Amino acid sequence: MLDRVAGQLERYMDLLSARQKLVASNIANADTPGYRTRDLDFQGEFEAAAGLTPEVVPVAGLPVKNDGNNVSLDREARLLSENAMRFQVASSLMRTQIHTLQTAITGGGQSE
Amino acid sequence: MSLFSVLSIGSSGMAAQRARAELLAENLANAETTRTPEGGPYRRKDVVFASTEIDSPFASAFSRELEAAGGVAVGDVITDMRDPELRYLPGHPDADAEGYVAFPRVNPAEDMVDLMGATRGYEANVASISAAKDMIERSLDLLK
Repeated sequence: MLDRVAGQLERYMDLLSARQKLVASNIANADTPGYRTRDLDFQGEFEAAAGLTPEVVPVAGLPVKNDGNNVSLDREARLLSENAMRFQVASSLMRTQIHTLQTAITGGGQSE
Repeated sequence: MSLFSVLSIGSSGMAAQRARAELLAENLANAETTRTPEGGPYRRKDVVFASTEIDSPFASAFSRELEAAGGVAVGDVITDMRDPELRYLPGHPDADAEGYVAFPRVNPAEDMVDLMGATRGYEANVASISAAKDMIERSLDLLK
């Protein structure tokens, strides 16, 4: 896209959406017998080369309920809002980048 | 855009929890029902959820790869086959020769607690939809 920073931001936002989907899926399956919480290694994926499909991994260390399900709604609720906030930050930064580019295009004049 | 499938996942969760709440309401409503079309007292029903693949209309082959973890659906409805509860009510029209009436084995407390669980599950799915909606709106703001 625009440059390296914007490219990184794009990757960051892509990863956040992928993670948000997993969180939504975990929440939807909070009462599914035998379902195991899934997530992605956020930091690891972000450091890896862009453009790869993030690897989905089971989450270790969560207490398993009687029906074999280990979804913790508290954990998912935290991740849900954390992801949304991170996304908000990333999209604001991206917006600044786009505005900078716009200013360059219009030569600092009226952009509207 | 994978964010749109979050909406599908959330709505699948809402639908499943609503189906569960409907059955629980049915159990509560029929807690004292002694006559059913199948004969005998009402039998308590419950759902078993199963995770499913989400079929998002916008999903590309690439994003489908990510969707190994998908939505949820009602996999099965199980009927409680425990023996009915016998109460001694000789005046009851459905009483047997010894005066016992077979009542459904429904524990309203159990169903009320499950109903609360279904409500919370529904709310959690609504929260995930609104979080995804917020993220989509943020992305659209980039175009402004």
